[in-house]
Amino acid sequence: MEEKRINERESIEIITSMIARTKKRYSLGDGNIMLMWGYLTLCISALVWTLLALTHNQAVNWLWSLILVIGGIATPVMAKKEAISKGVKTYTDKIISRLWTVVGFGAVACTLVCLVLTLFWGIDGWSAMFVFALIIVPFAEIANGIVLNESSCIWGGMLGLSAGIVLTCCIAGKVVLAASWVMPLFIVAFICMMIIPGHVVNYKAKKNL
Amino acid sequence: MKELDPLLHSQLRLAVMSILMNVDEADFVFLKEKTEATAGNLSVQLDKLSNAGYIAMEKGFVGKKTRTVCQVTGQGRKAFEEYVEALKEYLNL
Repeated sequence: MEEKRINERESIEIITSMIARTKKRYSLGDGNIMLMWGYLTLCISALVWTLLALTHNQAVNWLWSLILVIGGIATPVMAKKEAISKGVKTYTDKIISRLWTVVGFGAVACTLVCLVLTLFWGIDGWSAMFVFALIIVPFAEIANGIVLNESSCIWGGMLGLSAGIVLTCCIAGKVVLAASWVMPLFIVAFICMMIIPGHVVNYKAKKNL
Repeated sequence: MKELDPLLHSQLRLAVMSILMNVDEADFVFLKEKTEATAGNLSVQLDKLSNAGYIAMEKGFVGKKTRTVCQVTGQGRKAFEEYVEALKEYLNL
């Protein structure tokens, strides 16, 4: 393409052609951040579950904070790397990035409130983190899926949300949250919400679907 | 009939503006790839658009390499919309 004068019809052709060229749905690695959160949550959950079963020491629950610390550090690094390799930031990218930033702030706020309750009043409010992870995160995942028009995110989010509703009802009904059923529920929810959609998005990017 | 903005009525500048109107921001490499322009020519046209206030350019570094990110400004958006309106008049659309 050069700097040359054009007629009106050519102008329209250029505009439509450039719009079409920027309308690529996925780029390679678009699902990587979702996969990172999914596998990170899976690994930490499995670790906490195993240690709880082996040691019966409630202190191992502090390991949950690793999800926020590792994920919180890795996400901006991966997002920046992704933005540089793509060379473009669409309005969709901007919406999704802001949506997950809000969820991130919510997770930090929820953690801080639970921490303050535990340290100053000895109140155990940590089950709220499960509700956060299985209500707020699925909502964001569903919104993400709607914006991207990606059904695996929508269905994954719906399954995660269903798990969250079950858990919230159990908490409200004062049902004891035993690791034997909460942990598998949590792990399955994250596989549905993050790992499966992450692989689907990467597959679609690879196949240019 | 409205006159077509001479700054936009050029193949490469119009292509750049069409891309930037459709995204939040794009870097030099992306624009070069999509417009299939030479680096020198693209650089000159980006400067013209920037000097006219149609786009904002931010130069940064990725490692040791420079990275120029472009974004359309409010003025550029208005000019592009007026250009499209004028085009519609010319083509009786």
